[in-house]
Amino acid sequence: MKPVLAIYRRELRAFFASPVAYIVIIAWLYICGLSYWAILSFFADGASSGGSDNPLAMFFGGTILFWLPLLVFVPVLTMRLLAGERASGTLEALLTTPVTATQVVAGKYLAGLTYWVALWVPTLFFVVITAQYGDVDPGAVAASYLGLFGIGVFYVSAGLLGSALAPTQVVSAVLTFFFIGALFILGILQFVTYDLTREVLAYLSVWTHMSDFAKGVVDTRYLVFYVSFATLALFLAVRALAWRPVK
Amino acid sequence: MLEVEGLTKRYGARLAVDGISFSVAAGDVVGFLGPNGAGKSTTLRMITGFLAPTAGRVRVGGVDAIRAPTEARRLFGYMPEGVPLHHEMRAREYLAFRAELKGLGRQGAKKAVDRSLEQAGVADAADRIVGQLSKGYRQRVGLADALLTDPPLLILDEPTAGLDPNQIRQIRALIRSFRGDKAVFVSTHILPEVQATCDRVVIIDRGRMVGEGDPTELAGGGETQRLRLRGPGSAAAFRAALAGVRGAAIEGAREDGAGSDAETTLELKLPRGDASLDALFAAVVAAGLGIRALEPVEKDLEDVFASLTTEDRATVGADESAAPGEEAP
Repeated sequence: MKPVLAIYRRELRAFFASPVAYIVIIAWLYICGLSYWAILSFFADGASSGGSDNPLAMFFGGTILFWLPLLVFVPVLTMRLLAGERASGTLEALLTTPVTATQVVAGKYLAGLTYWVALWVPTLFFVVITAQYGDVDPGAVAASYLGLFGIGVFYVSAGLLGSALAPTQVVSAVLTFFFIGALFILGILQFVTYDLTREVLAYLSVWTHMSDFAKGVVDTRYLVFYVSFATLALFLAVRALAWRPVK
Repeated sequence: MLEVEGLTKRYGARLAVDGISFSVAAGDVVGFLGPNGAGKSTTLRMITGFLAPTAGRVRVGGVDAIRAPTEARRLFGYMPEGVPLHHEMRAREYLAFRAELKGLGRQGAKKAVDRSLEQAGVADAADRIVGQLSKGYRQRVGLADALLTDPPLLILDEPTAGLDPNQIRQIRALIRSFRGDKAVFVSTHILPEVQATCDRVVIIDRGRMVGEGDPTELAGGGETQRLRLRGPGSAAAFRAALAGVRGAAIEGAREDGAGSDAETTLELKLPRGDASLDALFAAVVAAGLGIRALEPVEKDLEDVFASLTTEDRATVGADESAAPGEEAP
């Protein structure tokens, strides 16, 4: 456990010492702020919301403005975790200490999850502000954040796997973007398919998941999906660390 | 302290390292000499467990480094090629992080960091950011890292690469200071480096071990020695005079000046031993010529390889001792 914490702490320090952290977090807040402003204006005009019955529920995964930036930011946040060390050669120094590949992946994953949480903490202000002027369902908000954390468990593990497989950070970002982007689009395809295919695709669709969470519905099937996906991805990442491309 | 047996690495059809075997005893400084691309770093990476060997065995302090890598890694300090470091950290922070990875407790880590900073001569740069340090300092931070746990075995990959002569001297002195205390296995592509620091040398070329032995002997070239002779007289006269000396072979001659001012510089091979030198001197004097200078010619790495791979196979260990195991899939 000690090496895991050492790796975790170093990773966080390096991340918050780099401009990437601040650029991503500020850009994300800017986009969230704009989209929440648009959603509030939409509700203020008294228009029908078609399913989502309050601004917060619509904000949490109800619009494409929420998902598109995430599909870009997750690969950027996770790309340095292992690919950065591989590209700079520090992976060799790391893996020739008495540390196991599992400990390395665990430390890096915890760091990735922490970045994810750092993205979301500032959005609590939206909840606070909304509560000043209207009704906020605390259960629905709690369920929304639980869902967000679950998606983080899923996305960060996918990004870490991309980072474990890639020789450089750029390759890692592209790999992760294609992977989570493809899964996202598969999820949307549920609207043009039928029967079993539709059910399977809905099960994969983070958009569908989030609209349930945002209504305060905690579907444990989704949580099981996130955790089992992450377990598989992390297992593969540990295996990938043992594999070294020919120079 | 370190035993390597039949170590092999195959990349597809290419054999990067081909069944090399050697050992490093406790307290010995052993050089690992070879030209760039000979497979030195690949070998070190297999020893340290960063690369999985295709075949062969590695034992560190009696521990099977391939079956029990974690345990074996506690016994050595390794400085990889190019000294990769985390550039955003301060030297002391970096070393404290590395000490934690190597399983030292908080108190032990602090002491170990201070000691190794001192040992590697970077105490004055302890609070500077690694990325802003000069290359020589970074190299020594890497060395301090290898020294953190005061391990019985040090494995250093080209520790003097890219340093200026002053820094090279300091690193070499540091390596020499471990003699008798730690086993050191240090790779290099520079022959004088081996002569300056090592008790023994293992030579590798194109993935194959081509020799092993005493570095001064290797440089001298075994049974024959090379000499440069300068003396008054024509090249033809010197050739005629030396024709009678047993085992002497002239490899090159240069004549300066003309007539009675002529001076000749010869490169020649001569069997080792006083008898040959006496015969050479007698022959020169008998011919009415003289000797103004006679000096040994140091071999460079290419000469060593040439002599090892052609005439002088007496010290070659790879062929008979290599026993490659079955190949991994």
